[in-house]
Amino acid sequence: MSGTLAVYQKELATYFRSPIAYYVVAVFLLGTGYFFLYNVFLTGETTMAGTFQNMGILLLTLVPVISMRLFSAEYSAGTAELLLTLPLSPWQIVLGKYLGAVTILALMTAGTLVDLVPLYLFGTPETTTILAGYIGFVLLGMACLAVGQLFSTVTHNQIVAALLSAAVLLAFWFVGHLQTFQASPGVRALVGYLSFSLHFTDFIQGLVRTEGLVFYLVVSAIALTLSVAYLQWRR
Amino acid sequence: MSSTSAVIALESVGKRYGSRTVIHDLSFTVEKGEIVGFLGPNGAGKTTTMRMIAGFTAATSGRVRVAGYDMASQNVQAARLIGYLPERPPLYDALDVSAYLRFVARVKGVPRAAIAAELERVTTACRLEAVVRQEIFKLSKGYRQRLGLAQALLGNPEVLLLDEPTAGLDPGQIQETREVIRGFGRDHAVLFSTHILAEVTLICRRVAIIHHGRLLAIDSPNGLQRAVEQTNRVTLQATAPAQALREQLLSIDGVTALDIRPSPSESGMLTVDCQVDARNGIEAAIARAVAGRWDLHRLERQQPTLENIFLTYVTAPPDRGRSA
Repeated sequence: MSGTLAVYQKELATYFRSPIAYYVVAVFLLGTGYFFLYNVFLTGETTMAGTFQNMGILLLTLVPVISMRLFSAEYSAGTAELLLTLPLSPWQIVLGKYLGAVTILALMTAGTLVDLVPLYLFGTPETTTILAGYIGFVLLGMACLAVGQLFSTVTHNQIVAALLSAAVLLAFWFVGHLQTFQASPGVRALVGYLSFSLHFTDFIQGLVRTEGLVFYLVVSAIALTLSVAYLQWRR
Repeated sequence: MSSTSAVIALESVGKRYGSRTVIHDLSFTVEKGEIVGFLGPNGAGKTTTMRMIAGFTAATSGRVRVAGYDMASQNVQAARLIGYLPERPPLYDALDVSAYLRFVARVKGVPRAAIAAELERVTTACRLEAVVRQEIFKLSKGYRQRLGLAQALLGNPEVLLLDEPTAGLDPGQIQETREVIRGFGRDHAVLFSTHILAEVTLICRRVAIIHHGRLLAIDSPNGLQRAVEQTNRVTLQATAPAQALREQLLSIDGVTALDIRPSPSESGMLTVDCQVDARNGIEAAIARAVAGRWDLHRLERQQPTLENIFLTYVTAPPDRGRSA
């Protein structure tokens, strides 16, 4: 536990002593602010539904920037040789790093709470729906970060890690659209189930379904387990 | 091979990457209170061996044990007992020196209350006091190397693995680093790699020589010295009658033995290998003696380099080259 905590704190210190964290949080909040203004003030709806949808896409593009350095930078700087020979199990390393990245996600999410102020001042939004949207957003982010971390685990090159994660995350986001072209109900159900965006849409609409909850957590768990397995295998 | 006091024990260790075998059947031990030098040219397999002992990579055959732990399966438990300085100091550029050392100390299980004293100890030992608050990316090469060493000393590990710890240091810093290693080696097991011959003879009790992934010799520095003496050789080419040349050369004080043979390329010319003792100016004396009477075409002092020692070990039993 203390090992995980030490890795976690080291990760956070590294994020905040480089421009990455500031850049990612700033871009995300500027983007979200713009979408919020567009959705709420131009359409006159006092909901977060449209904004959440846009936040999801924005998140997809920013997650690779957060996750790409997690392991790739350790390999290329030679610090992996320290990290992997310290008295730390692969799980402690993977979890410590993952939690560091999730903290950046939490900060991004917390920053968007500012948008709720005008929403509550000038309208009567449904609190439970907004809450469900936020739960979905954080779960989506956690799953994306775990996938991004997995790709960072397998390559020395941060750019390659970012490109691979971006491609895979976009595929998971848009895979639901294949439903339109599929006749077989089985395939339709499958691509629907695999879709990051369809589960997220449930949350945005205020539905905290076990299916979606479990989906994101299972994706995260699988990706983290694969990262651990890779670290053990590469020896 | 593995006695009870052996803290590091390699038993027929091999390492393969795909079809390429980089370490062949490597066996040696390092005991508590012993500094063992690990000598070899670049690419000999020193770093790979270090990595296997540190637990960064696993051996593909044989067994690596550190303090009784099998590094194939118990590397995390053993890691508490190992201080490791990789070839490239593993530093987090974004952190400052004290944050970095504090991170390593915590992970190594140094109790929270003892961390400050422990940091003080290693920064003093490695002369890092002046840069404790600096960000690592601003450090000079010498400081980076010493910070890597400081990190390895944290938690007073039983085993210290140092991969070329003096690389990139100036002569004064090299001296200090050797003192640190020497002091640490009194009651710990230290294995350090280098390609500098003088270094191992200065501080090691035993020296392991590795080349092309094979252990060529493990010996005391004195044993190694004998090999060095054999490479104290002067080679010359001259056009002269063989018998007269032999007598002339053997009359020079310091020439102990020689080997004369016709030069393969040019007829009438002789190639002579002279075994000499280590004094300075011997080649000048030889040059005067030969050039005064005959044509001297070439004269060359063979330096006792690591390569020469390897050649000695690789090509022949220790008595070769003494034939007169």
